[in-house]
Amino acid sequence: MTHEPLSHDQAALLNQRAIAKRKVATVLQYVFAIAVTLFMIFPLYWMFITSVKSQEEVLLALPTFWPREWHFENYRNVLSRANFSKYYYNTIIMTAGILFSQVVTGVLAAYGFSKVRFKGQKILFLIVLGALMIPLQVTFIPLYIMFANWKLTDTFLGLILPEMVSPYYIFMMRQAFLTVDDSYIEAAKLDGMGRLGIITRVLVPMCKSTLITITLVTFTNGWNSYFWPKIIAKNETRRVLTVGLVHLRNTFAGLDTMNNHEIMAGAVLAVLPVIILFFVFQKYMLTGYEKTAMK
Amino acid sequence: MKQQKSLHRRIQEGKDFGTVLPALLFLGIFVYYPVVQVVRISFTNWNLINDNYSYVGMKNWIWLFQGSGTKYLINSLKVTALYTIGELAITIIGGMLFAIIFNRITKSFSVMRALVFLPKYVAMSSAAVVFIWILNTQNGILNYFLEQLGQSRVNWLGDRNRALGSILMLTGWRTVGYGMMIYIASMRGISSSYYEAASIDGASKFVQFTRITLPLLSPTTLFLFVTTFISAMKVFQSVDVLTGGGPYRSTEVIVFMIYKYAMEDFRMDRAATIAVFFFVILLAITAATMKISSKRVNYDA
Repeated sequence: MTHEPLSHDQAALLNQRAIAKRKVATVLQYVFAIAVTLFMIFPLYWMFITSVKSQEEVLLALPTFWPREWHFENYRNVLSRANFSKYYYNTIIMTAGILFSQVVTGVLAAYGFSKVRFKGQKILFLIVLGALMIPLQVTFIPLYIMFANWKLTDTFLGLILPEMVSPYYIFMMRQAFLTVDDSYIEAAKLDGMGRLGIITRVLVPMCKSTLITITLVTFTNGWNSYFWPKIIAKNETRRVLTVGLVHLRNTFAGLDTMNNHEIMAGAVLAVLPVIILFFVFQKYMLTGYEKTAMK
Repeated sequence: MKQQKSLHRRIQEGKDFGTVLPALLFLGIFVYYPVVQVVRISFTNWNLINDNYSYVGMKNWIWLFQGSGTKYLINSLKVTALYTIGELAITIIGGMLFAIIFNRITKSFSVMRALVFLPKYVAMSSAAVVFIWILNTQNGILNYFLEQLGQSRVNWLGDRNRALGSILMLTGWRTVGYGMMIYIASMRGISSSYYEAASIDGASKFVQFTRITLPLLSPTTLFLFVTTFISAMKVFQSVDVLTGGGPYRSTEVIVFMIYKYAMEDFRMDRAATIAVFFFVILLAITAATMKISSKRVNYDA
């Protein structure tokens, strides 16, 4: 089929129409995207707005979308009355412990599985990867019995121990180390560097962005962890934020919705560090999961 | 001289091995050894109330498959399957739709993408507590909106036909942005020459999407499918906080069932038996998806 050649005017008209059509599409996309974003962000907005309302305002039949008065003392109440400062302390120590040990063991093992050779290396690496397929949801029963026998319930060690090594961390860091050319390591050896020198002064600086990304993932996973802390630290002494928040809600539950403003203040306190981190390290946080996907 | 060298090398090799030793030791003690233990416990009558236990052969397994436990197991498997299908649909279909809406390279869009992705980082327990408040029957904002639209109030979490859907609302809110980010990353990896060639041939945007984008995204879809499948099977937190498995076991997913037998009834034997069965299912799914991934996916992108 042959086309009739278009006259100059016709072509210009078509072009104009195409441009107009594109403009409409762009505007539509903006409208759509903004609407979806508002919808997605609403629960967080509602959490915050509720957390600064007074109890009376929370219970109004006509909800207010902007607080009439700001009651920041809700935060103080939660921190003091509900032991939230204690939960904060426990969460910080637990997360720091997990973070430190996963980074150290992870970087060491990543080096051992990428830049040196020894007997049985392949099989041992498969054993590490195999651990990825064994979730805590399967092994927590014997672990709990073990830890109870060792008197580790309601202790920091009990919270931290099962999370001290992450096969995921090892795998991701190994992938990064493999991209570093061996000539750098040879040069470092000629300079008289040992293993630790090579790891800390050559490999880690060269893989900084992966390290930061994966470490942030480790941090959020630790900070947000719930299943194991709930099992191993049931008492007030070592309760962490995630479990404590739910506990707070359940102990207030006798009053039904009466204390929602304070519960929301607790929820804000629990997520705030991660949200701050998210915006500070946005570049790394957004790529973190993509990196996992691209392997 | 030669012997000395080999000794030196052996020491070096030992030190190299030393770098992976801490990780291996920990995985051995805290991951692999418990797997052996959980299998062993499933053949005992271990509960935390008595100090002693003895081996009871297949008793727990018979309880699970041909006894009073069977109907609860079937219920849990059904609930878990429904939940998994829901989360898969939200992550993959929702993630794809979001990716189409948000895939535009401007500053404002990158801010919006970050905001849509943010819920992934919000701790599940905080998110769950917020959703309990939003879904509250009397004062919840969702029911308020419904009433404004002329609908009647809904008992989101207390109705056995609705509770699982309400849990999925929460999960979907947290995962859809993740699906979007993954899809956008791989959409940007598709060479623009495909689209140029297609538009010269006169293919419409829709045809371009179904004939070029979708097939070339299939490895990404598979990745999302496998990882979401496995993580959805392990769902626990949202159920624990939102419904506690109720009402009438309508949200009792399999991990929650294991948890309940172990930590509320202290029946370690029964919990371990369900856990072993659950583990076998997980391994079978992993093996099956690995097989599929080596065949049916387009890696041409």
